[in-house]
Amino acid sequence: MAISPTQRLIADSASVLQGAEAKVYKSSLGGVPVLIKHRFNKKYRHPILDGNLTKARVAGEARALIRCLRAGVSVPAIRMVDATEGVLGIEWIEGTSVRRLIPGAEPEDDEGHTSTEEEAMADYGVTIDEAMKLIGTELAKMHLADIIHGDLTTSNMMLRHPGRTGLPPRVYIIDFGLSYTSTLVEDKAVDLYVLERAFASTHPESESMFGSVLKSYEERMGKEWSAVKRRLEDVRMRGRKRSMVG
Amino acid sequence: MDSFTFDHLDAIAYYALYAPINNAASIRQRIVAAATADGPEGDREREEMNFAFIDASLITSLLHLQTGIHQAILTDSQGALRTKTVHSEILWSLNPTNNITEAIRRYGISDSTKSLLVVHIAPKSQSAEDLKAKLQRIVDGTLVPASTLAGITDWAKVKKYYKLNNDPALTATKTDEEEQHAVIDNIVTSSVAMKSVTG
Repeated sequence: MAISPTQRLIADSASVLQGAEAKVYKSSLGGVPVLIKHRFNKKYRHPILDGNLTKARVAGEARALIRCLRAGVSVPAIRMVDATEGVLGIEWIEGTSVRRLIPGAEPEDDEGHTSTEEEAMADYGVTIDEAMKLIGTELAKMHLADIIHGDLTTSNMMLRHPGRTGLPPRVYIIDFGLSYTSTLVEDKAVDLYVLERAFASTHPESESMFGSVLKSYEERMGKEWSAVKRRLEDVRMRGRKRSMVG
Repeated sequence: MDSFTFDHLDAIAYYALYAPINNAASIRQRIVAAATADGPEGDREREEMNFAFIDASLITSLLHLQTGIHQAILTDSQGALRTKTVHSEILWSLNPTNNITEAIRRYGISDSTKSLLVVHIAPKSQSAEDLKAKLQRIVDGTLVPASTLAGITDWAKVKKYYKLNNDPALTATKTDEEEQHAVIDNIVTSSVAMKSVTG
C-alpha cells in the first residue's frame, strides 16, 4: 500500500523523543518548523479500538490546546491535525525543558534524550526564581479556565530561548495528553500536588522553588486561592488518591 | 504569483492577492453561473473559474492561509473532503462552524469584497503561467505583494466570527493592539489546523 502524505511527512522528519504513547519529531510545513507528535499504532490493542482511542486522544489534546490559547495560557499553537494517522503538529518552541535548566536534576531515565550539553538558566535571561514565578502564573491562568493538565512535571514545561529567537523569555506548558476540564477544587489541588511531588523527586532543595511557583499562582488566582490552598493541604496529608475506606 | 509547497504532498498551492478589486460582483455572478451551467459549456466555465476566491480581510496571516490550504489538501488526499472540491474545502476550513453555506458566504467573495485572495491547487508539475492568464481574464484589480496582507485584515470581524471578544487572551492584551493581533492570529490559525476534530 502506498504511504499516506502524513506518513511521508514523518518519514522525512528527525526523531526527537520516544515515549510509550507517542513519538515526537521535528519537521517543517511549508518551511515553518513544527513539532510532530505521532501516536503510533499499538499492536497490543484491537485495531478498531486502537484507532478510536488514538483519534479521541489527538482530538482531546488539540481541544485542550485551543482552550488554553483562548484563556491566554502560554502553550504551543496548533499547526496540523491528522487524527486518522494519530498526528498532532504543533508550533516548534526553540528552547529547553525547565527540568534540564535546573542544576542538579536527577538524570532522565525514562526519556530518550541523547543530548548531554549543559545549558544554564542564566543563558535564558532569567533566574530560577523568575522562571518559577512564570510557571505559577501560567498554571493559575490554566486553572482559572478550568483546565487540569493531569501530568505536571518540570519536563512538561519549556523555557523559550530569548537569544536564539529574539523574543522575551517565556514559559510554555506542554503535553496535554492527560488533560481534562474540571471546575473542582480537588482536581486543581491534585494537579499542584503532582507537580510538588515531581519537584521533590527530581530537583534537590525543591521546597523554595515550588514555594515560588505557589506564590505567583496565589497572586494570579485571587479569591479562588484560599479554597485550593486548603484542599492542597488535605491532599498532602492523604496523597493523590482519595481514600475509599468506609 | 506566490506559492506554498509541502514536501510530503504532491500538490502545489498558487496564490495571489488583489487589493483593491473592482469587479467583485461580476466574479461572484460568474462563479454562481458556472456552478449551475450544463454541458461542455459549463465544464469549460467551471475549469476557467477553478480557484478558491477568498475575502482577504478575514485572513490574519500567510500562516493562517497556509494552514487552511494544507488541511484541505491533506483531507483531499485521504478522499475525505466535506465539500465538493478542494477549493471549497479551503473556505470550509477557514470558517469556525461546520455550516458550508455560511463558510462560503463569509469567507468567499461577496459583492462588497474589497480585497481578494485567489488560490489554485495544482499538481506540482503544473506551472503558474496559464493561471496568470486566466486570472487576468477574471479579476479586475491591483495585484499586490502578499506581505501587504497584514494591513488588510478586518480584526473586528475576525473577532466576531470566532467569538473571541470575551476570551481572557484578548482582554489581557487589550492595551497593546499589535500584541492582540498576534494573539488572535495564533488562536485563529490553531482553530483552522484543528478544524477536522472540532465539535
